[in-house]
Amino acid sequence: MKKFWLVFKHEYLRHVLTKRFIFGILSVPFFVALSIGLGLLSVILGTDKRPVGIIDHSGVLAAPVIYPEKNDGPIPFTTFLFFTDAKQSQAALDNREIQGYYVLEPDYLTTGKVALTATEPLGTGAEGDFATLLRINLLKTQPIELRQRMLEGPDVTIHSVSDSRSVSPDNILGIIMPIVAGILFVVAINISGGYLLQAVVEEKENRTMEIVLTSVSTDQLMAGKIIGNLSVGLTQLAIWLIAAVIGTIFFANLQSDTGSVEMIRSYLLILALTFLPAFVMVAALMAMLGATATEAREAQQISGLFSIPIFMPLWFITTILEHPDSALAVGFSLFPLTSPLTLPVRVAISTVPAWQIGLSLAILVAAAFGAVWLASRAFRLGMLRYGKRLTLRELLRGTA
Amino acid sequence: MPTIEVKQISKRFGQQIAVDHASFTVDPGEIFALLGPNGAGKTTAIRIILDIFKADSGTVSVLGGPMTEEKKNRLGYLPEERGLYQDVQMDRSLVYLATLKGLSAADASRKVDEMLKRFELYDHRKKKIKELSKGMQQKAQLIVTLIHDPELIIIDEPFSALDPVNTQMVKDLLREEREKGKCIVMCTHQMHQVEELADRLVLINEGKVVLYGGLQEIRRSYSGQEVHVHALTDLPVELPGAVRVEKDNSGYRIHLEPSATPQAFLQTLVERGVQLDKFEIAMPTLDEIFIQVVTTEGNLQ
Repeated sequence: MKKFWLVFKHEYLRHVLTKRFIFGILSVPFFVALSIGLGLLSVILGTDKRPVGIIDHSGVLAAPVIYPEKNDGPIPFTTFLFFTDAKQSQAALDNREIQGYYVLEPDYLTTGKVALTATEPLGTGAEGDFATLLRINLLKTQPIELRQRMLEGPDVTIHSVSDSRSVSPDNILGIIMPIVAGILFVVAINISGGYLLQAVVEEKENRTMEIVLTSVSTDQLMAGKIIGNLSVGLTQLAIWLIAAVIGTIFFANLQSDTGSVEMIRSYLLILALTFLPAFVMVAALMAMLGATATEAREAQQISGLFSIPIFMPLWFITTILEHPDSALAVGFSLFPLTSPLTLPVRVAISTVPAWQIGLSLAILVAAAFGAVWLASRAFRLGMLRYGKRLTLRELLRGTA
Repeated sequence: MPTIEVKQISKRFGQQIAVDHASFTVDPGEIFALLGPNGAGKTTAIRIILDIFKADSGTVSVLGGPMTEEKKNRLGYLPEERGLYQDVQMDRSLVYLATLKGLSAADASRKVDEMLKRFELYDHRKKKIKELSKGMQQKAQLIVTLIHDPELIIIDEPFSALDPVNTQMVKDLLREEREKGKCIVMCTHQMHQVEELADRLVLINEGKVVLYGGLQEIRRSYSGQEVHVHALTDLPVELPGAVRVEKDNSGYRIHLEPSATPQAFLQTLVERGVQLDKFEIAMPTLDEIFIQVVTTEGNLQ
């Protein structure tokens, strides 16, 4: 057992202490933050802070209510400046004091016609704000609740048939989070799998196998390697999740709360249940590849064969979200390579029959055991074959 | 109690028989040579002894019984396929491999430093293995083999990639370990090295044991009807008992009749008044025995 820890420590530290790892781990949150930051920056830069002029011949905006009661967006509501005639407003536009000016004709209430004069398109949100301003003032004599309701429209919530889970436009985070977490999870699986693949092939490339095998048992060696390299992936995942949580808290402050705790909880439970067997399965498959291939590059190329089906559900994510009980979605949640991404998402957004969850997890666990069995076999048979590939037939039939 | 006891082991890979009913024992405090031409089954036999491969039949006892995890800490192995973690600093790599042999991290670091100084590698300890010369890598591997003071040392081709100075150093080291009562198995086809170091040997050809025993007994048993003679006077033309006389570097190599004995021939020389500087029974070199055995085997088949 002591040697297992030595192998584990060696495998873990040799990756975690490298510059490549630290750079890799920081680069993802950095680029995500950077792209979000750039997006926000472009919105802010696109916002023209100058007021927009209004000439009201209709009387709708006489004694106007200017600001809406509720404004929770990150961009401030546009300032409006009232003019009495076109000459004044044109002068203000010529002096670049205003972005442009609207003219409400006397027959506005019957025709709805409004003219806009501007030298260039108005800044982000200005047109919408003008429309809101008009609505507020048209409704200003109504009770505040009615006015609020008419301005915001209906809040539709989609309920699943049998239980309390629901999706509404408000908890959009509840849909995005399972997908993002799923992607992060699969990326982490692939990264650890990649490290593991490399760790096993390296023993072969460096020809250290015999020294190691006469020092430690194959079981302890493989366990140390698998757990060590998986921990590298988990460290990466944990750091990204922490960054994601910090990011979510940051955005939650900008956007009002979401009511999707129940959904997230069931999602996380299923994610945890699919997580372990899927991790072990992919790790073992990578170790098997490492033991059968002759060099790292070759193994890396073949490893794509496993990565593609793992990511496949993402290509069909719209179909899965729209029809979580379709044959495709059910098929994906039963096939062990696609189930880690499909099953948790389905559980989050619909009611998946218990037998499907049970069967899917059972298949996944069986596949994990099968992969470990194949890996240890490949390891014993293939490790001492320098420059010679182990064939599938030998793998299934041979003995060391 | 022998350190290694191999009884009738066989191993087959597909149609090919790598080891065929081989048996031998190795005792503590001796240097034992495992010899054979390339592809004879030496490395397979070693791997079976070390439990890397399982034998199809036969039994192996190492340090008093079957191989266990605990026993792995008591043996040092330098495989033919040399290798260390190429991208890792030498001292880190050595400390890791030493801890896998049961040393504590502190002991491992201390001993690694000691050994690096002894092997004149201390100044290179922070280099990655791939930055070292072949000879340095070979020395680093020897450190891995010996660092935990193993009772049983198995070395496959101990002198490959070493220059004469380092070859001598390794020889001295192996003798030193033998003095300490260690059991050393040397697997090689470099016969002259074996002649210098080994106490006993086994010769394997095509998986079978074809020669086994003490080095001197084997040489004696292969010493034929030949003597080396250095004489201060010329040899007489007529020499009863001699079939052929060849001049070699500083004397004569004389082939005797099958019925003649070296003693009788010496008496003849003395009676004929030949003044002898040296008279010795010609012992075949291991190379000669090796070639003779292997080709005879080949001819028989």
